[in-house]
Amino acid sequence: MTTTTADALLTRTGLTGRRRDPLFWISTGFLAVVVLVAAFAPLIAPYDPEAIDFAAIWAPPSLAHPFGTDQLGRDLLSRLLLGTRESLIGPFLLLVGATVLGVAIGIVAAWNGGWIDVLLARITDVMFAFPGLLFVVLVIAVFGEGPATAVVALALAYAPVIAKFTRSIALSELARPYVDAYRVQGVGGGVIAARYVVPNMAPALLGYLVVLFGEGLMGLATLSYLGFGAQPPSSEWGLMVQEGQDGIVLGHFGPTLVPGLAISAVVVAVNIVGVRLSERMGARA
Amino acid sequence: MNISHRPRRAAWLAIAAGAAIALTGCTADGGDPSTAPAIDIPFGATTPAASGPVDSVAWMLPAEPATFDFDIDSGAAENTVFANVCERLMAVQPDLTTVPHLAESAEWVDDTHVVFTIRTDATFHDGSPVTADDVLWSMQRHAAEGADESDEYANVTAMEKTGANEITVTLAQRDAIFIQAMAGNGGMVLNPRVVEAQGENFGAPGTPDACSGPYTLGEWKPGTSLTIEKAENYWDASREVLASEVVFRWADQSAVVNALTAGEADGSYLDSPASAIPLQSVDSVSLAQGPSTNAWVLLATERGALADERIRQALSLALDRAGIAKAAFGDLAEPSKTPIGSGAWGYERDAFEAAYEALEGAPASPSASDLEAAKELVAEAGAPDEPIVIASDGGSVRNVVSNALVAAAKSIGLEAEIATIPSAQYGDFYSDAELRGQADLFSDEYYISKNDPVGFYKNGASTASVNFVGFDDPEYDELVTQAFAATDDAERAELAIELQRRWVEATPWLPVTQSPSTVAYSSKLTGLPSSAAYLYYPWAADLGSSQG
Repeated sequence: MTTTTADALLTRTGLTGRRRDPLFWISTGFLAVVVLVAAFAPLIAPYDPEAIDFAAIWAPPSLAHPFGTDQLGRDLLSRLLLGTRESLIGPFLLLVGATVLGVAIGIVAAWNGGWIDVLLARITDVMFAFPGLLFVVLVIAVFGEGPATAVVALALAYAPVIAKFTRSIALSELARPYVDAYRVQGVGGGVIAARYVVPNMAPALLGYLVVLFGEGLMGLATLSYLGFGAQPPSSEWGLMVQEGQDGIVLGHFGPTLVPGLAISAVVVAVNIVGVRLSERMGARA
Repeated sequence: MNISHRPRRAAWLAIAAGAAIALTGCTADGGDPSTAPAIDIPFGATTPAASGPVDSVAWMLPAEPATFDFDIDSGAAENTVFANVCERLMAVQPDLTTVPHLAESAEWVDDTHVVFTIRTDATFHDGSPVTADDVLWSMQRHAAEGADESDEYANVTAMEKTGANEITVTLAQRDAIFIQAMAGNGGMVLNPRVVEAQGENFGAPGTPDACSGPYTLGEWKPGTSLTIEKAENYWDASREVLASEVVFRWADQSAVVNALTAGEADGSYLDSPASAIPLQSVDSVSLAQGPSTNAWVLLATERGALADERIRQALSLALDRAGIAKAAFGDLAEPSKTPIGSGAWGYERDAFEAAYEALEGAPASPSASDLEAAKELVAEAGAPDEPIVIASDGGSVRNVVSNALVAAAKSIGLEAEIATIPSAQYGDFYSDAELRGQADLFSDEYYISKNDPVGFYKNGASTASVNFVGFDDPEYDELVTQAFAATDDAERAELAIELQRRWVEATPWLPVTQSPSTVAYSSKLTGLPSSAAYLYYPWAADLGSSQG
């Protein structure tokens, strides 16, 4: 009976199951390529992404410029490749910050319960009630625009979401017998949480965080589009969309479409991977 | 199961949609409008004369007028409308020269006294005559402290009626451009009875105009439209008034372009020549450009990185103005050596033109020797401790200008970066020192209402409010004083040219491009001025049918 259940679980959620999911593997492969591009962008970009060439303004795709050029004659392929770095590092950093903060709040609330739980729950509720973009713009208005502020502001906006999710899974995790067992042995709360509870929650958290990565990428691109995030001459993708939009009325769609499609493709791939991981990890947990 | 299917379906849909969009994009880019030969836009003071009147014209403005009380505020939208409604002591002509109008004559009787003789046949829209008392009342209102036009009266110490039709203005010092200034809103003559009857509401929607021009203010539906109608009892019977009615609406420039393309609007004086680029291929729309005083400039601030004029000179030498004109304006603007458009050359034009050609230090495109010279200047001065910061608002023109400046800085070994300031806040650079502390340069399109370069170069005086970088040259200050005192055109031109040379040498502002006035109008219409005169000249009166 036990063996049958384990086999069924393996078939449904394990390696075999994923092999039957080509979209998952295509997405994972695509994201792996994107990460490699980000790592080696300076080596593979054919031009300096900030190099202005007024003789090649709005150039259509050609052998010299496979994706064409923008309003300043800058090579779109090079800008896209270099922009991968900033476009990926930003969401990664904001997710790290938001996760550290959110998981800490969620665990503390779930572990202590009582008034601490109520207080933290009310704080996160207030944060939920406050429109995310408005909160981010408020933070940027106080501390000034720029990529670092945008990352911090979005991390603060995402932390309550992660805290709420963490608290809900931590409550069920803390109800498990092994937690009481460690308590009886005199292991401290912090050690139990850090060494055992968080690692056990990690699978469930991972898929959720991957999906949030996509949201973070879109959020940062939106802020850059609005002028609050990355600053020119950066080739961050949201900023590229903003700078390219003037070409639309002139029939030059490339400078907007190229980064726009890059954002869409990465977010779709991240969502597919995130949702699949959530399903598998959630089911396994 | 359902959950696992949803993202798959969504992903395929997204991929299909993306592919469709990409294909559309490829097709559009493949067409490459940028490589289509640019249509030559006629350049001149006016468009071809109209062959007959028109009934109603739909005209687009860049924004809804805020008020028609010009002593409170005025901008392009208000001026475009009321150039047709109100009249001034002097009048701007399409070629940007000025002639007497409600004043029959304006003469200097000695170094500090100007006498305006008021014509006796002009009447306001309510039928009452325009009198010397009305003129004096209007001038005093404009000169009052806090009034938007009070700067035009800065040197005025007294104004009085010295005859039945005569106003004498006393100035503390000779001010050669004071008479010209009376062709602007500072010389606007208002009907005191209408203004006083309206009280604080004057200029707001629903209130009548207090003017004497060829059009009267009709219905103003706030947020929707504003109409001016041909004045039936206009006092100057010899003045042909062709358009019976002009209905104004307002929108941002992309919407204006769409309205013109779709035929929903008959014309617009465009905010930027760049807006004309997509209209070049629209058959039903004609384009014309004319002289203006407008120029895009980079204003240096007191932040510090540009305190040494050699760094400013180096940046000016390295800036690719021709590239900016191409990228930001589709070559519908010109690289500029000076911070003011050639439309300001209202006298001694040949002398100004020759002096302009001889100017050095602001090349259209930097040559190798320009870059070498710039690098030497940087080496002499030493690079600033911090990167040079240029402000942008993310708009198309400012984006091009700021990126070009960063490229120029890098090409001569300087570090530069761009800071984005919200558009709504950008205008505060002129008044907010704290904001200027965030950037060493901010770009703007600057213009003067008088066609006299002296009216601009006063901005380089050590006491000028817009001399942010602290350019301080006592000889320059003395030249400004002399130029204002020189009523002889040749002498004033000589002084203005020297001021211009010193300005370009010291570069308190970096000149970028000159923007001609650009008008887009239905091919069924013609006759209107294409110069910047539309801000003060009754252009609608000349706007008529292009077909017999």
